[in-house]
Amino acid sequence: MNNKKSFVKSILSVRGMGAALTAFVGLIIIYIAFGLINPKVFSGQNILNLLRSMSKYLLIGIGQSYVMITGNIDLSIGSVVGMSAMITATLMTHGVPAVLAVLIALVCGIAVGVVNGFLVGKFKLPPFIATLGTMFVARGVGYMVDGNRNTDNIGITLGKDAADGFQNLFYYNKTLGIYNTFWIALVIFLIAFFILSKTRFGRHVYAIGSNIDAARLSGVDSVMVTVKVYLVSAFCAVVVGVILCAQAGMGNMEAGNMYEMYGVASGVIGGISPLGGSGLLLGTFAGASVWQTLENGLNMIGAQVGIQRIVIGVIVVVAVLMDVVLHSKTSKK
Amino acid sequence: MDELIVSMEHICKQFPGVKALDDVRFELRKGEVMALLGENGAGKSTLMKILSGVYTRDSGDLTIMGKSYGDLDPKSARAAGVAIIHQELNMCRHLSVAENMFLGREIKGSITLNNKEMKKIAREYLDELGVDISTDQIVGDLPVSKQQMIEIAKALSVNAKILIMDEPTSALTARECEELFRIIRQLKDRGCGIVYISHRLEELSHITDRVTIMRDGKYITQGNFTDFSMDDIISNMVGREIKEKFPRIECPKGKKIFEVKNLNAGRLVRDINFSLYEGEIVGFAGLMGAGRTETTRAVFGIDPKESGTIELNGKEVVINRPMDAIKAGIVLAPEDRKKDGLCTKLSVRQNIALPNLDMLCNGLGVVDSKKEVELCDKAVDNLMIKLPSVDVNADTLSGGNQQKVVVGKWLARDSKVVIFDEPTRGIDVGAKVEIYRLMNQLKEQGIAVMFVSSEMPEILGIADRVIVMCDGRITGEVQAKGATQEELLKLATAFENKFKEEEKGAEVKANE
Repeated sequence: MNNKKSFVKSILSVRGMGAALTAFVGLIIIYIAFGLINPKVFSGQNILNLLRSMSKYLLIGIGQSYVMITGNIDLSIGSVVGMSAMITATLMTHGVPAVLAVLIALVCGIAVGVVNGFLVGKFKLPPFIATLGTMFVARGVGYMVDGNRNTDNIGITLGKDAADGFQNLFYYNKTLGIYNTFWIALVIFLIAFFILSKTRFGRHVYAIGSNIDAARLSGVDSVMVTVKVYLVSAFCAVVVGVILCAQAGMGNMEAGNMYEMYGVASGVIGGISPLGGSGLLLGTFAGASVWQTLENGLNMIGAQVGIQRIVIGVIVVVAVLMDVVLHSKTSKK
Repeated sequence: MDELIVSMEHICKQFPGVKALDDVRFELRKGEVMALLGENGAGKSTLMKILSGVYTRDSGDLTIMGKSYGDLDPKSARAAGVAIIHQELNMCRHLSVAENMFLGREIKGSITLNNKEMKKIAREYLDELGVDISTDQIVGDLPVSKQQMIEIAKALSVNAKILIMDEPTSALTARECEELFRIIRQLKDRGCGIVYISHRLEELSHITDRVTIMRDGKYITQGNFTDFSMDDIISNMVGREIKEKFPRIECPKGKKIFEVKNLNAGRLVRDINFSLYEGEIVGFAGLMGAGRTETTRAVFGIDPKESGTIELNGKEVVINRPMDAIKAGIVLAPEDRKKDGLCTKLSVRQNIALPNLDMLCNGLGVVDSKKEVELCDKAVDNLMIKLPSVDVNADTLSGGNQQKVVVGKWLARDSKVVIFDEPTRGIDVGAKVEIYRLMNQLKEQGIAVMFVSSEMPEILGIADRVIVMCDGRITGEVQAKGATQEELLKLATAFENKFKEEEKGAEVKANE
């Protein structure tokens, strides 16, 4: 009994846990509220859909959260999503096998991450500017790979079976009753969570976000850590790009538009400070879930797109506002 | 002159887990300088924050200018005439002097700002203080001492009668201090009451009228400054007698460990040569801006070097980044705790573990939390760092304890050279002695200690050998035993003599 208590206590004492748990509580309230209006929200199929569509936001959120914990931001995420989707799809329409196409998209996405990392870490460009540049460049590359148009169906050369195999693997098939998309996101989440909370690299990420000078003087290689963080972000974006490609069965030039901001929102709702140095990836999980539940719920009760956007915008601000108000209260006492 | 302008009685303040103030009394008279003394964490800052409305007290009476106040907030405190001159100055670095002085209460014409009027009034107050600064100067371009003057002028311009100065001299040179004292005397003549918080006890005799001493959140005593001896003050502050302010130990001088040859790095590090030996502490003395901090930064690989070699045990080591230095066994406890020393948002545990993660991680880079806790507990015990738990944020600690964390994080390593840059700045007497003891321990273990400090008494008291720098060059080296402050000061100001010689040389040339 005693043991149990101290376990609960030790969990609660983890910094950032408060915000993450608040977001989870918020999630449950939102979910139940929508369910009461439209019971279909509670249906098994809807839950499965929810899990699948939140996976994209979760992945984006993981990448953006890593970057935000170092006190930076990555605006190029959405463009990397679009670029990877376009590259994967274009290559497949030209008969390149799916595995190879995905690998090439990965290499290209990673390249954007490396550029971001060096611009911010090594050349000390303001991250907002550096990634604004790569955002445009990556989107432009995405436009150009198939001659400024959306691609044809990915099965056009490879045949329907190959295309179906690819699409099912990343999007339409289930394992143990849940869509593969969610499993992919969950595995990446668990690995990212472990790395951030248990490893040396993870510590360095927090240290840089808290005080980059002190971190450097403690022997942290701030350039490499920054590069790696942008790599994580780019990697997650590529995975989402591939998922979008599998979902659509083609490459869409506008795929992933605004996703970088969804990543910021997921992180911020879950208590990741955009100023760096604090927050838990568990919060990002909660944040992405809140985000998707809202979108899904508002859809299910027939709210217009305009209303959806407004509600989501308000929620983001209120979440952070709550955090700020609570913080200033506790620190003032 | 004896009119009471501030009276605080039975003030209590509870923070989560600590009683910060327990039945404290404090009073301030018109036209006096009241020194508020105590160790770090004694509650001085908390008390002053209550007086300036930043914190609200839990209980007690607070009277300002004869008027009793209930809950004071910053705005009503300002209206009552209370102004703080902060230790870390609060000004907008990109704005001009006049703009800063009128920030938040700008004078307007019907629509636009009346800059002329603001500049005129700013000028008046600056002139009154005898401060020669243009009102158009950008504040960030001015030295800290001038910025302080502007804050004081600003306080006067809002008709402040109670000025709280928190460690006003910690970043000033000797000459600037004198300038400040002159202004403080002027303020006294105007009838202002001044609360003066400082850890530099030796400067008190210049300006202090009375003292209030606090310890562990409690009021200890107050009285006329002249009624106390320095020893009385210290024993009241610390609650025990500090036998030796500078506990020196003797060690046999061993072999040469560390040598810097022909180091150049920018204007303030020019042709630096020195060696460190086993069993000695080498002090680096000099005035502010002499290039001592810059030298430590170049050695440690923070700033790039133009030329020079560094040898450790006779072998050259290449240091391009702090990481290289740490790997070689050279570590640095930097000057500016907040900026370079601590990740303030992280816990004490994470701060101490940060440079030691290579020892705490397995091959995959996963942190062994058991080892981490052991290492941190050891560091905390060794240095007697006072904290509720190692998981609190580093910025919740008092200055002295923060400094111990900055130092403590390096001691778990097997270092060969430890560089301390102003390790005792802004910390109290007791904590200072603990830092000295720690340096002595390192000395006994045969570790080379480089000790940068601007306080000559402590350099002469603790170091074995003193290297003096001036304007980016080493101007002399003396054995600490038998050396006097005057000798050090002469070496530390050697650039002025040299400058004159050059002038002479030029004159001679001109005459020829």
